[in-house]
Amino acid sequence: MFARLRSLWGTFRHRSEFERDLDSEMQSHIENRADDLARSGGLPRSEALRRARIEFGCAEAHQDRVRESRGVNWFEDLAQDLRFGARMLRKSPGFTAAAILTLALGIGPNTAIFTVIDAVLLRPLPYANPQQLVTWHGNESELDIDDIQAQSRSFFSAGGGVNPEVLTYTGGAEPLGIHAGYVDAGLFRALDVPPMLGRELSPDDDRFGGPRVVVLSYPFWREYLDGDPNIVGKTIPLDDNRYTVIGVMPASFVVPQYSLDVFVSLRVVYPEAARYRGVHFMKSYWRLKPGVTLAQAAAGMATIDARMAKDYPGEEKGRHSVPVPLQQSVTGDVRPALLLLFAAVCVVLLIACANFAGLLMARSVSRQREMTIRAALGGGRRRLVRQALTESTLLAVLGGAVALPLASLCLRLLIAAKPAALAHLNKISMDPSVVVFGLVVSLLTGVVFGLAPAWNVSRADVTDTLKQEARTLTGGPAGHNFRKALVVVEIALALVLLAGTGLLIKSFARLRWVDPGFDPARVIAINVQLPVTRYAEIPKQIQFRRALLDRLNSLPRTQAAMVGDVPLNGSEVTHSLGFDGRPPVAEGDEPEVDSFCVMGDYFRLMRIPLRTGRTFTPEDREDHPLVAVINEALARKFYAGQNPIGQRIHWARETGPPRWMTIIGIVGDVKQYSLAEPAYPAVFTPFAQTNEAWRRWMSVVVRMPDSSGSMIPAIKGEIWTLDSQIPLNRIQSMEELLGLSLAERQFNMALLGLFAGLAVILVAVGIYGVISYSVSQRTHEIGIRIAVGARRIDVLKLVIGQGLRMAIVGTAAGILGAVALTRLMTKLLFGVTPNDPATFSAVVLLMLAVVLLACLLPARRAMRVDPVIALRHE
Amino acid sequence: MNEQAQLLPGTLDLLILKAVSLGPLHGYGVLLRIEQITRGALLAEQGALYPALHRLEHQGLLDTEWGTSDNNRRAKFYRLTAAGRRRLRDETESWNRLSTAIRSALSAKPQEG
Repeated sequence: MFARLRSLWGTFRHRSEFERDLDSEMQSHIENRADDLARSGGLPRSEALRRARIEFGCAEAHQDRVRESRGVNWFEDLAQDLRFGARMLRKSPGFTAAAILTLALGIGPNTAIFTVIDAVLLRPLPYANPQQLVTWHGNESELDIDDIQAQSRSFFSAGGGVNPEVLTYTGGAEPLGIHAGYVDAGLFRALDVPPMLGRELSPDDDRFGGPRVVVLSYPFWREYLDGDPNIVGKTIPLDDNRYTVIGVMPASFVVPQYSLDVFVSLRVVYPEAARYRGVHFMKSYWRLKPGVTLAQAAAGMATIDARMAKDYPGEEKGRHSVPVPLQQSVTGDVRPALLLLFAAVCVVLLIACANFAGLLMARSVSRQREMTIRAALGGGRRRLVRQALTESTLLAVLGGAVALPLASLCLRLLIAAKPAALAHLNKISMDPSVVVFGLVVSLLTGVVFGLAPAWNVSRADVTDTLKQEARTLTGGPAGHNFRKALVVVEIALALVLLAGTGLLIKSFARLRWVDPGFDPARVIAINVQLPVTRYAEIPKQIQFRRALLDRLNSLPRTQAAMVGDVPLNGSEVTHSLGFDGRPPVAEGDEPEVDSFCVMGDYFRLMRIPLRTGRTFTPEDREDHPLVAVINEALARKFYAGQNPIGQRIHWARETGPPRWMTIIGIVGDVKQYSLAEPAYPAVFTPFAQTNEAWRRWMSVVVRMPDSSGSMIPAIKGEIWTLDSQIPLNRIQSMEELLGLSLAERQFNMALLGLFAGLAVILVAVGIYGVISYSVSQRTHEIGIRIAVGARRIDVLKLVIGQGLRMAIVGTAAGILGAVALTRLMTKLLFGVTPNDPATFSAVVLLMLAVVLLACLLPARRAMRVDPVIALRHE
Repeated sequence: MNEQAQLLPGTLDLLILKAVSLGPLHGYGVLLRIEQITRGALLAEQGALYPALHRLEHQGLLDTEWGTSDNNRRAKFYRLTAAGRRRLRDETESWNRLSTAIRSALSAKPQEG
């Protein structure tokens, strides 16, 4: 073994010497033989030498076999193939550029999307044993969580909840509303991420009247506390209280689905809420005990649900807690869109590969003569295949090399577009596994799609091919038919993509046409949260609200009003509704409706139309009769065929005797949750008449004189004159909110559109390639046709007809594919059926137009064929 | 030509080792020596000779040096190494066993079976 390596090494080191030696060794052989022949046969020296040479045979071939026997060849051949391949590629820059671009366009976007998929769907969540973490649909109150913790010990090792709230942080230049997680200690134990500094909340901290302590998130610690390494033990001001920092979480720590700045104990910061079973506002996360299956946990939870529903029918009747893996729950919303996009890029990649194969195929056919001659001169078949494969692999690697920067560009665009669903992933970056993915895809493409043409080359029959005329060297009808088949498949695939895109575009257009129920022009929403320390009592809240609206309405050409939660901002309050004069409903079975408090002329400001009755006036205040305005959805659902005006309703879950509210008006429906969802029944009541002290937050809506936002500093100033400690960093225009609600669909649509566009371009290139190749092969035939009297239009028909035949077969297959596949994207559609005939016809027409366009250039060339030249060409 | 038997696969290496074991030889000399020691019954194909020589050298069974041929020409001479000698002995033994076995098999008479 060692001897061989040394020998191989020696051969390489003294390469030229070795070659010289080999040459002279064989030369000396021939000379010696010639000497013998001359001596024994009495031949003249020159004749003897000639015979010796013939006897010896092809020295080149022998030398080649010598090199092979020494193992030199493999590397040597590779280097030679690469050099030769590079030379051939340089010699036909058009082909090379087309092939590399085709691959890069296929692989680049694919890699970018794969990066996102990897980050969102594949990468495990940043917790220890993330597969043990589960959650369920529906929120819990702190008392529920306590009960579940106590009753689930056989299957959950830990569990806890979190409710995102806004707290005022006054340690900076201006008061800041920061995102606080109101949590319990169980949450940290369930997520099981060790803190970076200090410690987490312990059960000892998490009790009523416990110490005011806070755990910081890494971003908050870095940005607002300058990453102070000695922060543990210091205090920070939150909502007029000082909280002692007990720990800082590492950068990798996130609470699923939320982006939070600090964590405080619910029982400490908001004890009122923690004492009510009905305050279902905590999202809970649980850790399965080792060895416990999801099914076992589900069975356990069903038992607990049943027990709680029996014990607390008023609050817990509708429980249905089905544990799902956290990963699934976190990615559930984005999954369909991402998978759709991934399918789309895979289609683009397939089309790119088919194009690449087609290009190689055409090239191998046009190089068949060269290959045949090389085979005739003693080039081994394996060697020729290898040469062809080396070339295609070289192309694939170059394609991959162009694709990677393209991928990182696509990725940057993707992240810049920042769809809401990806917002919590602040750092998606290309990691090595993704780069490897891209390279493997490109290499596989090169090898697999290089193989067919290479096989074609190796089958070349030396004598047959050389005997044939160059004109008939078309690689046979088989090769051309294969390319045509590839193009037909490409057309079909592109059509599926186009159909999907068309459906998304139509959905989006439909959605844009949806009336949100209000006029967002020049309206901004300022989210204000009143700190509990200074605004615990309702009179103080009302006083602040009135003063605020007075001040804002006194600004020039500015109208202001307020509502609990402005439409589309993602939060809402729901209440159980009871009706006067109707048979009582079992506790827990009352209908749930949206409940909004308003102050000021909210409906007129938002241009929400009044259907009947009246809206609130300043007279609908505390101590006056309780009134309510309902929306049309509520009237339709609960007062069908009746006049609701004058009817009385109350909140079914309130304690004490019913506080009856009289319905005074009906307003138009507003899209509260999203444009795609129908409006839910809603009840509006005056802020001044609520007895719910916890409604300390509000959206102040202001219709401004212009949309420049120049009024905003003045508005902030007015509010801060009233209370300088109110954070006002959450201001959004209603148009922005409306845009955000469309953003994700727009993002999906834009991306799918981009991929469909790519696919169409690739298909056009593919068709162009096939048709122009066939025109160039048929120049002779076309020349004859023209010579015997065919008109230009006949030639045009001939060429276009060829393209159209492919297009018809391809689109037919594509429609079948689309009918089968667009069903899968029903979730992403709005207002169109997955098989919308109008969309399908439009994309078919588009596809046919593209095919015609792609045929036009070669067709023009065919029409210009001069029969004299074409025939002389022979 | 017809009286010359084709070389069995794998036997060329053995013949080369044998030829070289009788004294250092250049490539052409190996060819002549094989012709001589097989009394012209076996003829090695010239094209196969050099790959075989280089293979054996590569395996460390042969050593080479440049010298002068009988015809006063510069030539590359092959010599058996210690490893080559061992290999020749082993191969000869196994060849003998094989040929004895084949011969006895072929001379078996049907009745005795």
